[in-house]
Amino acid sequence: MNKMGTIIGFTFKNKVKTKSFMITTLVLVLLLSIGMNIPYLIKVFQGDDEASAGIHVAVVAAEGSRASELLKNYASGVTTEGGATVDQYTSAEDSALKTSLDEGTLDGYIQLGAESETGLPPVTFYSPDGDMDAEVQTFLQLGLQQANAQLIAGDKLTPEQIGAMNAPVQLDTKQISTDGTAVTDEEKDEAPIINYVIVYALLMMFFMSIMMTGNMIAAEVTSEKSSRIMEILITSASPLAQMFGKVIGIFLIGMLQIAIIAAAVAANLMLPHNASILTDFDLDLGQLNVNLLIYGLVLYVLGYFLYALIYAAIGSIVSRTEDLGQAVMPITMLGLVTFYIPLFSISNADTLVVKVASYIPFTSPLSMLLRIGVGDVAFWEILVSLLILLVSIFVFGWLAAKIYRTGVLMYGKRPTIKEIRKAMKAYKI
Amino acid sequence: MEALKLDGVVKQFGEKTAVNRISLSVEPGEIYGLLGANGAGKTTTMRMVLGLIYPDDGKILYSGKAFNSELQQIMGYLPEERGLYPKVKVSDQIIYLARLRGMSSSDADKSLRYWLDRFDVPDYYNKKVEELSKGNQQKMGFIAAVVHKPRLLILDEAFSGLDPVNVELLKDTVRELRDQGTSILFSTHRMEHVEELCRHITIMDRSNTVVQGDIREIKKGYPREEVLLRTSSEVSGLETLPGVTGVQRQERGYLLTISEIAAAQRILQQAVGQSEVEHFEIKEPTLNQIFIKVVGGESNE
Ligand SMILES: Nc1ncnc2c1ncn2[C@@H]1O[C@H](COP(=O)(O)OP(=O)(O)OP(=O)(O)O)[C@@H](O)[C@H]1O
Ligand SMILES: [Mg+2]
Repeated sequence: MNKMGTIIGFTFKNKVKTKSFMITTLVLVLLLSIGMNIPYLIKVFQGDDEASAGIHVAVVAAEGSRASELLKNYASGVTTEGGATVDQYTSAEDSALKTSLDEGTLDGYIQLGAESETGLPPVTFYSPDGDMDAEVQTFLQLGLQQANAQLIAGDKLTPEQIGAMNAPVQLDTKQISTDGTAVTDEEKDEAPIINYVIVYALLMMFFMSIMMTGNMIAAEVTSEKSSRIMEILITSASPLAQMFGKVIGIFLIGMLQIAIIAAAVAANLMLPHNASILTDFDLDLGQLNVNLLIYGLVLYVLGYFLYALIYAAIGSIVSRTEDLGQAVMPITMLGLVTFYIPLFSISNADTLVVKVASYIPFTSPLSMLLRIGVGDVAFWEILVSLLILLVSIFVFGWLAAKIYRTGVLMYGKRPTIKEIRKAMKAYKI
Repeated sequence: MEALKLDGVVKQFGEKTAVNRISLSVEPGEIYGLLGANGAGKTTTMRMVLGLIYPDDGKILYSGKAFNSELQQIMGYLPEERGLYPKVKVSDQIIYLARLRGMSSSDADKSLRYWLDRFDVPDYYNKKVEELSKGNQQKMGFIAAVVHKPRLLILDEAFSGLDPVNVELLKDTVRELRDQGTSILFSTHRMEHVEELCRHITIMDRSNTVVQGDIREIKKGYPREEVLLRTSSEVSGLETLPGVTGVQRQERGYLLTISEIAAAQRILQQAVGQSEVEHFEIKEPTLNQIFIKVVGGESNE
């Protein structure tokens, strides 16, 4: 299939050079890069002092106050960024305290009254703006609560025991299976969070890529038809070679775009200031499921071909580029359904809708991807789904080639289905 | 053996018959003219020859063989609505088309440069088609049709839209291709081109073949109806001669129409009696006249 190679090369070369390809790719890369750097940018714009200085409060209490000591102890154990510092002053009129407040290095202070066996008296927080920000509030609440418990318990409990008392009780739920026994742990195994992220990203990327390349194919076929170069092409190479040549050529364009985007994501993750994002979101690239990516790729390729063939067939029956938008509407709708079923089910991948969709060609690539990534799926189910998809590609490939052969020579008004069927009978592919 | 032979070929579009039982044969190294009014079925016939659409009845043979994929390499086609990618460089697309027809890239490139030089436009190599004028786009279309040295060339109204200089250039090229052995099926609305280039023609009218054969034979079959006469001084009484149906004064003489050939002798005698005859010619009917007679006689669609 020497000619097919020529067609693939020509299609790829011409599309890569188009402005629309370059611009969409560039815009996607830019948007992604901006999106991935937003957490960092927010930090930069909020200013370093506030974000990284940590918590800094003062305690106004009598010399040797135990509560104050306990709070200081608690502060030394705080591990959040910037840590927590507690200074002690004996009077709210202290000039050092006043200057710290004026300079803004201090978030505010609390006044502690006399302590007793029944714990701490009510505490008031004084700050220059009368507000307490969330970080400080959490810190004081937990710190004072522990101090209070320690004061009441006296020496009977160690600080560790107090800490354990304050730790929230773990409450788990478990489903009872039909035979009354609890479902075993493995079956209910939650997918790692990174899988959700990957599945989400792949869904977006595959959907966008398939829609974009599909429309590219249809537009290409229609423009060849309307510029009448089609008549020369059909007499030079078989319609089958032309259709598949185009579909494969544009497939390479789609892959190139995905590769560029993946490279941009990787480059952004590598940036030193973004390293913490992954840890912040509890994402571990080590957990990254290579299988998921491989399945993703296979499903993308198959899904792409199925859609691309239909787009090529549609492009072939439209005579003018202006009519194309309307003609591709049904397949675009189908694409949206394919995309939204898994998207709306991302938190619950094992619904019946997703299961059914994961076997139906057209919807199966993305729905199966969801199930593989974050749902419950047996290997044979994947296999069956892939097989159905593969068979449909052959069936639709044959049908598309027939329509293509017929459609490319039909000019004038959009032919009716009956006319196409009648004409199709006349041509061998 | 004929390079191309059509035998009773029929094409129908729904109820409408576009081509009705056309038979013709093109010898190797021959330019065959396909003439006819608008909508007569010329383009449809050519499309069937190219295998773009299939005849409903009849046979088309290429050097004795039925349609096969090897023909892709040896056929060249200039469609009536010129087809080229508007936004692709001339060199890219013509080399692409040549490669689809089985040429290697380097041969295609060489051939393209030869043709661009031949048409005196080597700088179009790097131009996009949409940047060229219509006539020049057509030249590029012609190059696309011949770049792979086809043995069977189909030209649908090849000369329309070209200026006289380019028409001459293209005519020379077509003759040269013919002399190299290319068989050419050629349609046009300009009868003088056909008279210059073709030996055999078919005139179609509303899907039917109305006139077919060697141009000289065809002309013999039509009565000579015009006499051209040039004399040194005026000749009177011409219009009263029997058989003379019209006299038209021209710059230096007369153009007379006659209803029978014997009238020509009477005109000559009349002229010799009155003046000195400088030029006397019984004109052959032109193809244009024949065409108008057979096609234009009845009302057309
Ligand atoms: N695809 C088609 N569907 C229906 N009718 C068609 C189709 N193609 C051609 N026809 C009809 O067939 C007849 C012959 O058309 P064709 O294009 O062969 O004429 P032509 O001799 O090339 O005319 P022109 O000199 O105007 O180019 C016309 O009446 C036309 O309407
Ligand atoms: Mg025509």
